[in-house]
Amino acid sequence: MFLQTQGITKEFGKLRAVNNVTLEIKKGDIHAIIGPNGAGKSTYFNLVTGYHRATSGKVLFRDKEITNLPAYSRCNLGITRSFQITSIYPKLTVYESVLMGLLSHRKVTLNFFSSAKKFFKEEVWRILGDVGLADQANTLGDSISHGDKKRLELAITLGTEPELLCLDEPTCGMSPEETDIAMSLIKKFSEERGLTILFTEHDMSVVFSIAKRISVLHQGTLIADGSPQDVRNSEEVQKVYLGHAA
Amino acid sequence: MVQNPTEKEKSLSQRVWWLALLILISLIAPFVISEFYLAILCEALVMSLLALSFNLLFGYMGQLSFGQAAFYGLGGYAVAMLMTKAHLNFWLSLVAGILLPAIIGLIVGYFCVRLRGIYFAILTLAFGQLIFFIVFKWHNFTGGDDGIQGIFPPDFLKSPTAYYYFILIVFLLSSYVLWRIIHSPFGQTIVSMRENSERTEFLGINIARYQLIAFVIAAAFAGLAGAIWVPFYRSVAPSYLTWLKSGEPVMAAILGGPSLFFGPILGMFIMTFFHAWVLGFTVYWPVVMGALILAVIFFLPGGILGFIQEKVNQRKEIRNRE
Repeated sequence: MFLQTQGITKEFGKLRAVNNVTLEIKKGDIHAIIGPNGAGKSTYFNLVTGYHRATSGKVLFRDKEITNLPAYSRCNLGITRSFQITSIYPKLTVYESVLMGLLSHRKVTLNFFSSAKKFFKEEVWRILGDVGLADQANTLGDSISHGDKKRLELAITLGTEPELLCLDEPTCGMSPEETDIAMSLIKKFSEERGLTILFTEHDMSVVFSIAKRISVLHQGTLIADGSPQDVRNSEEVQKVYLGHAA
Repeated sequence: MVQNPTEKEKSLSQRVWWLALLILISLIAPFVISEFYLAILCEALVMSLLALSFNLLFGYMGQLSFGQAAFYGLGGYAVAMLMTKAHLNFWLSLVAGILLPAIIGLIVGYFCVRLRGIYFAILTLAFGQLIFFIVFKWHNFTGGDDGIQGIFPPDFLKSPTAYYYFILIVFLLSSYVLWRIIHSPFGQTIVSMRENSERTEFLGINIARYQLIAFVIAAAFAGLAGAIWVPFYRSVAPSYLTWLKSGEPVMAAILGGPSLFFGPILGMFIMTFFHAWVLGFTVYWPVVMGALILAVIFFLPGGILGFIQEKVNQRKEIRNRE
């Protein structure tokens, strides 16, 4: 078993944002979590990646319970995430930003005396080449375009060589062309590196073009889970999205 | 895209030239300047080391420590008490002057690193004042407000010139070590924490742990600064630990430029020499200093060195475009 949540629940005061969700994410899948605004997608994400702690229920990764592990420990186990509002290093260069992920993942951050720039040159350039940011390696994070920032965040997360990559709205705010590029990148990484990808997305055409499996949340509850075809045909999902069964 | 390598090499060799020139000047300084100004130079070097230790936290990790003088004072007191009361050898006392502040830094830091921003600043201030009051009030043990007098370096370091060279060597070595730390993977990690701590945590970094390590390193170097100062001044007093003293590295970093390694050194040199000079004709030194800091904050927000760096970069860019 790769990643599993068992009856996971998150309450904020009286609001139950995620309600008793039991779900399994299979290794190598591209798994989308969808649902209308306020469905609990981001909260579910935060429970998996350690941004929030669950009120009840369990999160298991490779059969190990990680429900109460802090975010950095989960990352060290192989779970890395991106954020809905792009989270990069504004005053570090693109190169340095990607290097940081590698330094952390390969456990050299307690080296106090070697030059950081000497580490992992090949790996950084390879990742930069893969995401198409090599020509901006020496540009500061806040000086690149919005779409490039999203790609930079993806590149930073790849530096940690994750097994499970969680992407919170990876195409949010992107133009259609940028969206296409980003999604083909994600697909490529999943295929080439055997990465498991869990993502939330509001753009249904993106979801149905790439996801192998889709889970639908509505008001914090899981209402459908299956192949894109199953989900498309689910009456309950149609009711939620269209207000009536098609 | 990539900075032209010849350009890069040129700027590096320029930097090495500047550094060599500054070291040369500091080597011949005792033969050129009066004994009064030599003492001021010693103070500037020691305080610069304090400012560098502070800036590891402020400029690089992005946390304002307002209690750095407590570690400086503890380093000084460790040396003073061990040498006068336990008659311990000078060199061993210096080692204690690094270890004691580092250990206290570990304890204080344990609580402080859980907080960020203004709360971190306030808590370091509170701990700093707490340590000051213990030293100030514990008369039987520390000498209270009388301080401790009669701390002498070994004979071969007794002349001001000899001790100056000793301070210079310690300063240069410590600066080199701090420089290496800042440019190491550890340094890159604390800079990343400053830039975006959430992102860094989600790359697998235990933020509190790295903040604590940096805090202890900073405390050790602050302690070393105090430890080498006290035998030069032959005495130590509780005023070394106060929050007023802690304010000096803060001002030096802002004055010189916290984002550059040499910024706090420049700031501290300006402050120390300016102080000595202004006291020649007015006792209202804080007013003069306040005006200077205000001017820098308003007109040179990156500090003096930051401003110079910016201008140099602009000129380089123009030249590159041409």
